[in-house]
Amino acid sequence: MLFNSLHFLIFLPIVVGLYYLLPFRFRWILIFIASCYFYMVFVPKYILILFLIILIDYVSALTIEKLNGKLRLFYLIGSLTANIALLAFFKYFNFFNDNLVTVFNLFGREFDPVNLNIILPIGLSFHTFQSMSYTIEVYRGRQKAERHLGYFANYVLFFPQMVAGPIERYDTLGNELKQDHKPKYENFSNGFRMILFGLFVKMVVADNIAPYVNLVYTDPLKYNSGEVILAVVLFSFQIYADFFGYSTIALGSARLLGIKIMDNFNTPYLSKSITEFWTRWHISLSSWFRDYLYIPLGGNRVKLPRWCINILIVFMISGLWHGASWTFVVWGALHGLMILLERFTSKVFGINITKEWNILNIMLTLKTFIVTSFIWIFFRAETFDKAKNIIKAMVRNWHVPAMPEQINYAVIFSCVIIIIDILVYNSRFDKRLGAVKAPARWAMYALFIFCLMAMAGTQKFTFIYFQF
Amino acid sequence: MIKKIIIRIFGIVVVIAILNLIYNFTLYKKDLNEKCEEVQEIKKEQNNTDIFYFAESSNFSTQPSDSIQNSISEITNLFFPSLKITAINKAATHAGIYKHWITQVNVKEHKPKAIVVTLNLRSFDATWINSKLETPLQESVVLLKPYPNIINRFLLSLNAFDNKTEQQRDQDMIKEWETTRLKFPFKSAHKTVREWDYEMAQGTYIKPDGSWDTEKITLACHYVKTYAFNIEDENPRIKDFDFIAGWCHKNNVNLYLNLLAENMEYADSLVGKELVFLMKQNRDYLVKRYNRNNCRVVDNLELVKGKEFTDQSWTTEHYSYKGRMIIARNLAKALSTQFNNKYKTAF
Repeated sequence: MLFNSLHFLIFLPIVVGLYYLLPFRFRWILIFIASCYFYMVFVPKYILILFLIILIDYVSALTIEKLNGKLRLFYLIGSLTANIALLAFFKYFNFFNDNLVTVFNLFGREFDPVNLNIILPIGLSFHTFQSMSYTIEVYRGRQKAERHLGYFANYVLFFPQMVAGPIERYDTLGNELKQDHKPKYENFSNGFRMILFGLFVKMVVADNIAPYVNLVYTDPLKYNSGEVILAVVLFSFQIYADFFGYSTIALGSARLLGIKIMDNFNTPYLSKSITEFWTRWHISLSSWFRDYLYIPLGGNRVKLPRWCINILIVFMISGLWHGASWTFVVWGALHGLMILLERFTSKVFGINITKEWNILNIMLTLKTFIVTSFIWIFFRAETFDKAKNIIKAMVRNWHVPAMPEQINYAVIFSCVIIIIDILVYNSRFDKRLGAVKAPARWAMYALFIFCLMAMAGTQKFTFIYFQF
Repeated sequence: MIKKIIIRIFGIVVVIAILNLIYNFTLYKKDLNEKCEEVQEIKKEQNNTDIFYFAESSNFSTQPSDSIQNSISEITNLFFPSLKITAINKAATHAGIYKHWITQVNVKEHKPKAIVVTLNLRSFDATWINSKLETPLQESVVLLKPYPNIINRFLLSLNAFDNKTEQQRDQDMIKEWETTRLKFPFKSAHKTVREWDYEMAQGTYIKPDGSWDTEKITLACHYVKTYAFNIEDENPRIKDFDFIAGWCHKNNVNLYLNLLAENMEYADSLVGKELVFLMKQNRDYLVKRYNRNNCRVVDNLELVKGKEFTDQSWTTEHYSYKGRMIIARNLAKALSTQFNNKYKTAF
């Protein structure tokens, strides 16, 4: 089910209403059924994959907790392998085969692999990572294994965040799901604000930008440099608005049930460096990679060459997590390289990034935005050839872009989102809005509702991160 | 807390009501023009229109070599020089779309003397009902739904209309072909469209050199898939036209169902009598159902000869000038019962 659908706008109030009407001991059943239904609206049979993941990790965690010594590691590896195998089968099988064909061709050999013709289960990368974090934590002894299969299933399936995160840890979401949440006005008003704002960001900002970006990325060589550069910049806003919008609706939906889930974004385009960007963008994924890959590889307590390699490994795997294509790997690698470059340049030039806003920091923020926008090209282009064409088109046929009305909307709303980010820097929109006096707050509601109802994009675009 | 929430919900309803007014005065016209320009056309022309002619692409000439390019509605208008017939056209439209257009005619402001709704038999079949063109057509009428305009606009951006994907529509269409049993009042070997289509595809036409005449077979199969069906009360298009007939009856506007000509000759020669029987039976159903009150069915089904159809290798209702002329004359004849004193023998 899509958040930006009438289906969801009917589904959510029904679930919230039933949730508070039901006695606490039955609520997990409601969440379970609602989450299964939410997921099954996409491709019903894929729920079985989720059930398999749940069963594997539930049993593995209980077994790991009971055992001592090397057997614990054996079960952990077993559980992780099963999760990764599922992900590899559905997401990377064809990618792996394609690469095998290339390698065979390199040596003048023929290889004719069987390619799978299946749709990737929505949000599979999110579920597996969330579930894997649980077994790892149980193995590390930081988390008690959950005895109640229903609660554990809800941790993996919880509908607001099941298909595109945030990737939650069991000690937060798992415990939240076990609380007896009473209906509170504060939760309703905050939840409403977050959903309203999230829908605005997705449907008004992202969906008004998408048609132009899609048009230019389909055949970039048809457009002049200004138009292509504009599309590249607008895609930065589109993907931000799309994913941030989704995460905000997820937060708001959970909040209506009294459940707090983590913030996945913190004004990322106001970062002064790529390093800072990754502490503000898709925070739940960054922290997952930090805790379960970067630190086990040695973190920053290793020698410089090894640290450089670690950074590149983490970012390349992070790229591959996003999609089964070398363009994503390059996207990740470029971010890794930029982090290395930042470390060296800050040492050589003695750049000391401070917290307060000054000219230098504004320039650095602008630089970070330009760099991330450029790197997004590899994320958005399906192939290297397309990425090459975009870059080529950016530097030839110099012209200022024509501004038809459709682009006006896209540019205006991109500006709106950046202004909002500046206003709520290091905070969240709903918190700021909640603190405003009632007349101004209601005027803002009216403005957002008007934009949402009368100016949202009319083409159908699913959330970009659903494909991962 | 409940009281507080109810007050807030009421507040939001009031805000939306005010925003609806703002929307009506600001962006609504632009959106309507973008999604359904036909409605703007209706509103623009309604005060000087005597007869509205709602049609799909059949109205026009699709043959550039035609010596006379006039549309059916234009030719019909020649029979009534003192009346103004306004054609509102959109390719692939059907009763489900016309019913939204028709409600945009403001009968209080200026009541048209008659409304002609052009339909073809194909628009009642599974192929057209599940056509990939249906999604953009449905999208075009969301803004005309009977809710406040701002709600309709929101429904449009939520894609809350019949917006199935092409694959879903194909699946529905195939399911219909496979499961709906064809009804004949006599014994027939053809139980479903799927079976009939399969039979036709098994080398029905052989070239002199012994190979299959695939072009002819493909066309014959297409005729089966297009015309082999029974119109019944549950057909969604019947419900749509019922609405149109009801609206016209309620508003005392004369309605003419201009049932278009199909290529009966080819249907007969390519597939056979059973298919022709179904086509005539469906026509009879429409005539019987709608020839009452202030509605009249203008039956053109068998009037146009095979060679007058522009598309010789497909089933469309695109006619040469002669074909359009025949239909216009027949329609004019029907209209002349209402506008007897305005009728001129133009040809």
